[in-house]
Amino acid sequence: MKFFKQIIIVFTIFFIGQSCSDYVDYDPIENYEITADVYFQSETDFDAAVIGTYDPVQWLYLNILIGDIASDNSYCGGESASDYFGLQQMDLMIHNPTNDYTTEIWKWCYEGINRANYLEENKGKLDFDNKEALFGEVYFLRAYYYFELVKFFGDVPLFTESRLTAGDSGTLQRSPVSEVYAQIEADLIKAANVLPTIQSQKGRATKYAAQSLLGKVYLYQDKFTEAATAFENVIGKFTLVSNYGDQFLKSGENGSESIFEVQHTNTSNWYDWNYNPEGTEGNFGVIHHGPRNFVGPTYASGWSINVPLPALFNSFDEDDTRRDASILDIVAFAEETGATYAEGYKHTGYYNKKYISRAGESGAQTELNYLTNYRAIRYADVLLMAAEANNRGGVSDSKAQGYLNEVRRRAFGDTNHDVTVSGTALTTAIWEERNFELSMEGHRFFDLVRTGQASTFIEGFKTEKNELFPIPQQEIDISGLTQNPGY
Amino acid sequence: MKSLLLSILLCFGSIALYAQNNEIKGTVSDRDGNPLPGVSIVVKNTAKGVTTDFDGNFLLSGVQSGETLVFSYLGFMTKDVVVSNFNAMNVKLEEDTQSLEEVVVIGYGTQKVSKISGAVSTVNSKSVEILKPTRAEDALQGQASGVNVISSGSPGAKPTVLIRGIGSSSGNDPLVVIDGVTQTLDDLNSLNPSDIQSMSVLKDAALTAIYGVSGGSGVIVVKTKSGKRGGKTTFSFDSSYGVQEVTKTIDVLNASEYAGILNEASSNAGEGIVFDDISGLGVGTDWQDEILVNAPIITNNITASGGSETTSYFLSGGYLMQDGVVGGGDKSNFNRANITANFNTNITDDFVFIINTSYANIKAKTLSENNIGSVLSNALNFDPMVSPYDSNGDFGISNTITQEIKNPLALVDNTYNEGNTNKFFGKLELQYDIIENLKVSTRFGYTYTDVYSKNFTPLQYYGAGHNSTTANEDLSPIITIDAETGDETSTHNRVSESRTNYFNFTYEIFGNYNFQIQEDHNFDVVVGFSLAKSTGNSITANAEDIPFNSWDYADVSAATGDAASQTSGSWQYEKRNVSIFGRLNYDYKDKYLFSFTGRRDGSSSFGANNKFAFFPSASLGWIISKEDFYESSAVNFLKLRGSYGSVGNDNIDPQFATISTFPQYTFDGNIVSGSTLQSIPNDDVTWENQVQYNVGVDARFLDSKINFSAEYFNKTVDDLLFNPTLSLYLGAPEYPTTNIGSTESSGIEISAGYNDTFFDELNLSTSINFTTIENKVTAINNGDKYVDGAGYGIPYTVLTRFEEGFAPFYFYGYKTDGIFQNQSEIDSHATQDGALPGDIRYVDVNEDGVVDADDRTKIGDPYADFMIGYNLALNYKNFDFTAFVYASVGGDVYRAYERNLNYTNRFAGTLDRWTGEGTSYSEPRVTFVDSNNNTRVSDRYVEDGSYVRLKNIQLGYTLPENIYKSSGFSSIRFYGQVKNALTFTNYSGYDPEISSSVSDTGIDRGSYPQPRIWSMGVNVKF
Repeated sequence: MKFFKQIIIVFTIFFIGQSCSDYVDYDPIENYEITADVYFQSETDFDAAVIGTYDPVQWLYLNILIGDIASDNSYCGGESASDYFGLQQMDLMIHNPTNDYTTEIWKWCYEGINRANYLEENKGKLDFDNKEALFGEVYFLRAYYYFELVKFFGDVPLFTESRLTAGDSGTLQRSPVSEVYAQIEADLIKAANVLPTIQSQKGRATKYAAQSLLGKVYLYQDKFTEAATAFENVIGKFTLVSNYGDQFLKSGENGSESIFEVQHTNTSNWYDWNYNPEGTEGNFGVIHHGPRNFVGPTYASGWSINVPLPALFNSFDEDDTRRDASILDIVAFAEETGATYAEGYKHTGYYNKKYISRAGESGAQTELNYLTNYRAIRYADVLLMAAEANNRGGVSDSKAQGYLNEVRRRAFGDTNHDVTVSGTALTTAIWEERNFELSMEGHRFFDLVRTGQASTFIEGFKTEKNELFPIPQQEIDISGLTQNPGY
Repeated sequence: MKSLLLSILLCFGSIALYAQNNEIKGTVSDRDGNPLPGVSIVVKNTAKGVTTDFDGNFLLSGVQSGETLVFSYLGFMTKDVVVSNFNAMNVKLEEDTQSLEEVVVIGYGTQKVSKISGAVSTVNSKSVEILKPTRAEDALQGQASGVNVISSGSPGAKPTVLIRGIGSSSGNDPLVVIDGVTQTLDDLNSLNPSDIQSMSVLKDAALTAIYGVSGGSGVIVVKTKSGKRGGKTTFSFDSSYGVQEVTKTIDVLNASEYAGILNEASSNAGEGIVFDDISGLGVGTDWQDEILVNAPIITNNITASGGSETTSYFLSGGYLMQDGVVGGGDKSNFNRANITANFNTNITDDFVFIINTSYANIKAKTLSENNIGSVLSNALNFDPMVSPYDSNGDFGISNTITQEIKNPLALVDNTYNEGNTNKFFGKLELQYDIIENLKVSTRFGYTYTDVYSKNFTPLQYYGAGHNSTTANEDLSPIITIDAETGDETSTHNRVSESRTNYFNFTYEIFGNYNFQIQEDHNFDVVVGFSLAKSTGNSITANAEDIPFNSWDYADVSAATGDAASQTSGSWQYEKRNVSIFGRLNYDYKDKYLFSFTGRRDGSSSFGANNKFAFFPSASLGWIISKEDFYESSAVNFLKLRGSYGSVGNDNIDPQFATISTFPQYTFDGNIVSGSTLQSIPNDDVTWENQVQYNVGVDARFLDSKINFSAEYFNKTVDDLLFNPTLSLYLGAPEYPTTNIGSTESSGIEISAGYNDTFFDELNLSTSINFTTIENKVTAINNGDKYVDGAGYGIPYTVLTRFEEGFAPFYFYGYKTDGIFQNQSEIDSHATQDGALPGDIRYVDVNEDGVVDADDRTKIGDPYADFMIGYNLALNYKNFDFTAFVYASVGGDVYRAYERNLNYTNRFAGTLDRWTGEGTSYSEPRVTFVDSNNNTRVSDRYVEDGSYVRLKNIQLGYTLPENIYKSSGFSSIRFYGQVKNALTFTNYSGYDPEISSSVSDTGIDRGSYPQPRIWSMGVNVKF
């Protein structure tokens, strides 16, 4: 009897052990997780993934700051010499491969590319009516991210088929910039072919956005005739806002001059610094531009980063309406309104008025939620790029003058300031005009590099080195990439 | 059984001998006055003897004056008493914690200490009672060799507990098993330390392999108290009151010094002076004095225990209240109430039913600590020129500090939170004695935890331009008008409430069988099956606009904000394990010991291709002193032992390719939801596999008055679980945890004790233990060869690294080499961008002629090289005295609380700054434009964190029994105690013992110091 009992117990233990082996299987639905296997079943899934691909363009606020800080337009500013140290280094042209900011740009652009590629990878899973046009947006965004990478880093790893997986770590090398440009062009041409001229929702990429970016990409490669042709498709389809400064206001968002705008809103109520800028729908770049410890009307206190130099302020013609629309003279403003502020590091008395923190335009954690869109491609920019392409490509100086003067007439409100020169004098005039029109919008450094003028204008700029930013050291360590010359 | 028979026989014997002359009678009790039945009393060098009866009474006749009575009892130290008169003799026996007959609780059973061939340290109830820790694991510090406990002074905070070092980067918390039920280290916060009967720390694979994949970081086996069958009901009451104080403040600049330094820093930067007239500023405010307070700590415990012939029970109730020394009890406190009921009853002769139930309620309020926003960090860095309160009684405001750093009193005032935890844990167990020595046990152990927390962020005012200000001076919301559109926006106060439930259970069935073959072959076998599940889920709700900006109304239900401002969130997890396990202990003639243990574990955390793992271990022991050839009277016990085996770690989440719906974008000004791939699975992911060997020797000298134990261990962990650092061009999804690293740890543990009685009345018990530990990361195959640990500051700078070839989480930064005295020194040094005379010279470690990020190197290691615990206990008549000293030597601390921004306060060292050639070789110049980045991570902030601390000193007095004997009390004892009485250290901060997570240890961001506690208390038994 006792022996019998023992047998029963031994067998019970044995059988429980056997039947419970599936007890430790785990199904992700237990935690309400959506798995990749069951995704891309409907058009909604594809649309959501496209929205996810737009998301990282909001994170690239640094690209805008760096475009001017690294140039002759502005100082890094901030609280002290060690505040925003990585940006201070760029200001002084002493940045090195361990710069946190270039690492973030690299990572975020590649996150955007991987999100686009994930759609490409799953493109065959479902057919629906709007699919090609939707993928036009995907290709536009992929080109947008690769173009940012090329501007900063030159040769970069290139991949387009699918999202990379862990196994791909360390397997890619840098592709020559020409190959990356070829891919960008191909993506933009594909996008331009399928995208509508007007989108149902403001903020989505259009055919004109693709063509404008394509023209810009050509211009960066000195492919002037191709650039001129690309811009020709866009010219006449938009109009300049009559009062230059209005387009940078809230009411000017997605206006008649806007070709592609990175969208933000202050309604996401974001508080969490840890998922910033990835989590918020606000524009994190804006708080950087705010006047320090500001108390007063119209504006809101910020971090006094990216402060314009007096030289930039003084370079404008007295009659140019763009000066006061682009740059806030805080001393004069304080005198006029009784506002108070503190002087930050390398205080100049000037602030970037285009992307300044404006009172009442944020919410929740104020620093993280500014609603200000980034005007990535404006019609005035396209006109000036078209002028440059026509002039430098020897296509038509008169066309070039026409486009340039269209921009100047809006700025001065008259035709007295029209440019009439041609040839290289016209080239110089166009280049100068670019900074009057586009200063503090993140273009200056890349324009100077592109046109070979960087060493002339930027103190400390070393040719054969500072044209490109260093590849992040972390990436070199992990992936064995080569470093850019000079770093 | 035999002893019971014997005692009955001897009882009869004593009756038979009754009425002879020279009789002596008396009672024998334990230290607490509980009567001890069955104590053997023998007249030395004769055959005469008796045992005590049920109430501890004895009567012995035929005794001559001058003869010696020997009192002996299992588990107690033998005591000799010389007969000097024939008055009633009351003898108290001291528990012998070092007895070879002592039984140690191990996994799924118990074992006689003499027969253990693995590595175990034990701490018994007596130590816990003396140390009176607020958390049970504090009682392990310096008491159990091989265990490193790093505690925080913050009320109720979980300490870091490392058993035999840091094997892993993903979780080093030991497994906690309370009365056979597996729990976690976090669960020890709700255990009343005074309920603890014993804690065994299982250290080597021989003992931990029975817990398999959960045993990798060691196991703490806790046994709670239970009643004695057939014992009288005894009650005990224990109450103490203490005052806590912070004994050290950090030397910061006073107002005059601060203003002077700021002026100098500003002019050094080529800017004008900040303060025109600095005379008459005086000393200003030392903010530390404002926020450090003396705070009370109160404990009350009451227990009842006893039993009948078939049942025993233990009931206890406890209450602990501890206020925080930083900020005071209104905003920082820890209150715990416990109720425990343990019942054990025979349903039939064969069936024993056990039910243990504990309930704990914890209410706590916390202030931010050991981070850049903490109260202490603000107190150290805030403007000393500001008065705590202005003339209106409002909090003082700084004119110069307008970012992040605040008046710490205002910060305390604006902190509102509460946590309320209700927890039930315990077990139901049925034991069935099938045949003699074969017992099958089945038990269901459970822990149910309900955590409610609330956090209120009021509208707050720190000055008009301060970036943390969210209110006008009258605390009304700031209304902002968009100049362009006229739209109004307002600031809001916020409340967040969350409710989290955890439910864990284990169901186990196992059999224990002890048998002998041919007298000499002793077997002890365990075989069992275990099923475990742990789940958690949480819901959070947030809302804005609390009426009156008041904590009284701070609740989501009272919030008046619109629907858009109300947000919510939730999460959940479930983890399951299924296991079979077994152990065979065998010894031949109690002389040759052998043990084999194995556990096969399945875990839902593992990848689909690797669901199950097997963890075997074996150990051998040889008790040399039992050999016939062994002849040594000095060394009465000698054992050699060794073990080898493997255990694991499954600290990962199940892995799948999942889609995240977190991404969003904005179209038409409205937020739209997007998606992206969130994580990538690794189907091959498996347990961290640890292999450990252990060799040890145990010896007893001079009739066991001295005991000694030493051991050496070495463990290697392979397949460390990591989130690998992958190419950045893969983007930002979560990459799968992969088995890609190895570590190696080794150490020596020595403990020795000495117990003796002098002059009949003076009991001396002293022990020392010594633990060394060396950890090394031997491989990380992630490309980088390292992963980042923790850091500090704004912007956040990584300070610790888990890197191949180094100690885990060592400090990583620049080495300094004094101060540049002049330009020519700068010119002759490696290129150091931005350096000016008076700046710090950094070492060009790689000698490439440039000081840059590649020159960062090891600048410290937060973990101690060795630890020593020393205990002394003396009992003389009614007095008892105990002292405990703990030393931790060789660990470094990083002073991360210094902000060193332009306008923050500085530290006293600044007064010796460089002001010209030859003025200082260690303190750099002060400047508002620090082009050399003198504040970068460097060895300048690393200090030796070694310390020796008199952790506990206690003096007790037990009232003579005759005073209260008639009133029913069996013992009344008063005591006074000082905890953390003295600390000897060279560290300049508050406290070199800095606890947070394993990767964070040793980074002092304004860590809560351990207060000195003066307390008085009373123990009453009746």
